[in-house]
Amino acid sequence: MSHLLSFTQRAARGGLWFGGALVLIAAIVIGIDVVMRKFLARSIGGADELAGYALAIGTVWSLGAALLDRAHIRIDSLYVRLPMGLRVALDFAGLLLFVGFFALVAWHGWGVVEQSWVAGSRSQSALETPTVIPQALWFLGLMAFLGTGAVIFLDALVALLRGDLGAVVGKIGTRSAEEEVEDEVRDLKARAARDERSIGGERP
Amino acid sequence: MIGITLAILLVLLAAAIPVAAGLGILGLALSEIYSRLPLSLAMGEMAWATSNNFLLVAVPFFVLLGEILLRSGMAERMYGALVLWMPWLPGGLMHSNIAACAMFAATSGSSVATAATIGTVAMGEIEKRGYSERLFLGTIAAGGTLGILIPPSINMIVYGVLTETSIPKLYLAGVVPGVILAGLFSLTVLVFCLFRPAWGGTRTTATWDARLKALPDLIPPLVIFLAVIGSIYAGWATATESAALGVLAALGVAAWHGRLTMTMLLHAFEGTMRTTAMIMAILVAAYFLNFVITSIGLTTQVNRFITSLGLSPVQLLIVVVIFYIILGMFMETLSMMVATVPIIAPIMFQAGYDPIWFGILVILLMETAMITPPVGINLYVVQGLRKRGKIDDVIIGTLPFVGTLMLMMLILSLFPEIALWLPRAAAD
Repeated sequence: MSHLLSFTQRAARGGLWFGGALVLIAAIVIGIDVVMRKFLARSIGGADELAGYALAIGTVWSLGAALLDRAHIRIDSLYVRLPMGLRVALDFAGLLLFVGFFALVAWHGWGVVEQSWVAGSRSQSALETPTVIPQALWFLGLMAFLGTGAVIFLDALVALLRGDLGAVVGKIGTRSAEEEVEDEVRDLKARAARDERSIGGERP
Repeated sequence: MIGITLAILLVLLAAAIPVAAGLGILGLALSEIYSRLPLSLAMGEMAWATSNNFLLVAVPFFVLLGEILLRSGMAERMYGALVLWMPWLPGGLMHSNIAACAMFAATSGSSVATAATIGTVAMGEIEKRGYSERLFLGTIAAGGTLGILIPPSINMIVYGVLTETSIPKLYLAGVVPGVILAGLFSLTVLVFCLFRPAWGGTRTTATWDARLKALPDLIPPLVIFLAVIGSIYAGWATATESAALGVLAALGVAAWHGRLTMTMLLHAFEGTMRTTAMIMAILVAAYFLNFVITSIGLTTQVNRFITSLGLSPVQLLIVVVIFYIILGMFMETLSMMVATVPIIAPIMFQAGYDPIWFGILVILLMETAMITPPVGINLYVVQGLRKRGKIDDVIIGTLPFVGTLMLMMLILSLFPEIALWLPRAAAD
């Protein structure tokens, strides 16, 4: 289980990097396009379409990491006041409904991909992209997300069967506002300390 | 139909089901109960269309821009310069906090990022100069909320997409109210410190030489603001394109400060995509839900219900404001907007309110939601940075600024022109 989990975590992080790189490339291409249009009266053409694909594909490939890191918003005003057992039940329900909803999206998403393939449809733009290409990458990302969801579920289930409720909360509970902020603060503090050092180095 | 919908939504959200799943499941349930056709057949097409919507590409761009700036060393330098320029007012550095928040807000689309960034650099100053700790914390929590009012703003993008309102116009409409609100925040500090001089801490002095030397540190935020908002104002770029220019400018600033490394970029990627995936998951589900709600005629029913109440536009406005203030105490802002704006905004438009103006009002309400307990994300951010004492100190210190926000909403309602003037001037 732990091998599978750590593989999933590494893969999910790879998904974030992949998505982030797509977004950065899209920003650079669009930025260049704006400047060219203004000063050279010329356009790359289709940059907006490609940026849209980057968002769609980047999003689904990052969904799993967001789930692993418990970044999906849950409203926990009432939840934090409930007894532990009930909370864990809600954690499992939340996980199943979230993954289930996107499983349904993927199920119907396959129809979209299939139809583009059968009809050989192309985007209505200068690029005339065969739409099946970005859609297939999007669909694959959804599949990868479902896999990640399954691993998270199994991992939490194993912890539950061991009777380790604390571990279950750590895996699929809400990040209480405090905990989340603590993480962020630790990050910022570490960064600030690093910055102080480097500023000190620059301006002796 | 209205009652059942609300009941399902409340149960799902109160049970801490992830918001995206909650909205999606509500859509499926409504379709199951009220529609003769299974509306879920449209899910695939809708999910794909939402996911590659060019307008929404601005969201990851702004998150990425923030992640890069956070690691660029810009905020520390900017704050350092503002500290030298602002200390002559009663309340000293508390005005620097607000000014720094306002300036950072002009480069950032998020209030949490603004409060966290400025809070980190400001927190060390409280004890050094004997400020009232509570009020000092309040300036950061409240000042941070300017992040979504002063453009760019992720919440404005979401509002624009949900209501089909021009995002560039919303941006421009946020500028003047943003500056006024920052001024009012400062005024609030000033008033408190005139009555209680001890709260204002010891004054600091700075030589003109030091002040002038620090000025260049204010240039990077200005460059980013000009790239993002200037390009929109000049009509060179759409909202998404201007966000891309902002990312390029932020890369430039990071490189200028020698912070642009591969590790830094990978960290920025991780933060960006985690947030983007979270937001997009909610939006994909919300789009499906809105489609279902419209298809089964719920929007019409809500409209009819509101009309049957026979409220005057002003009464309607008051009801809506109170509704959001109460909801805002318990809900996170993005989920709140996605769940309510598609229903409430059309009613307000029908009552004769301008979509741009109402957008700015909604943003002010979201700012209020961020600093009202028990669930106010900026309160948690500031308390988290402080790491000691009780969160009550932050809540009490922020309370005066909740009053200031209410005053701002009143001013905006009495003088709608402060929001509407700039977008019109830019169009002419």
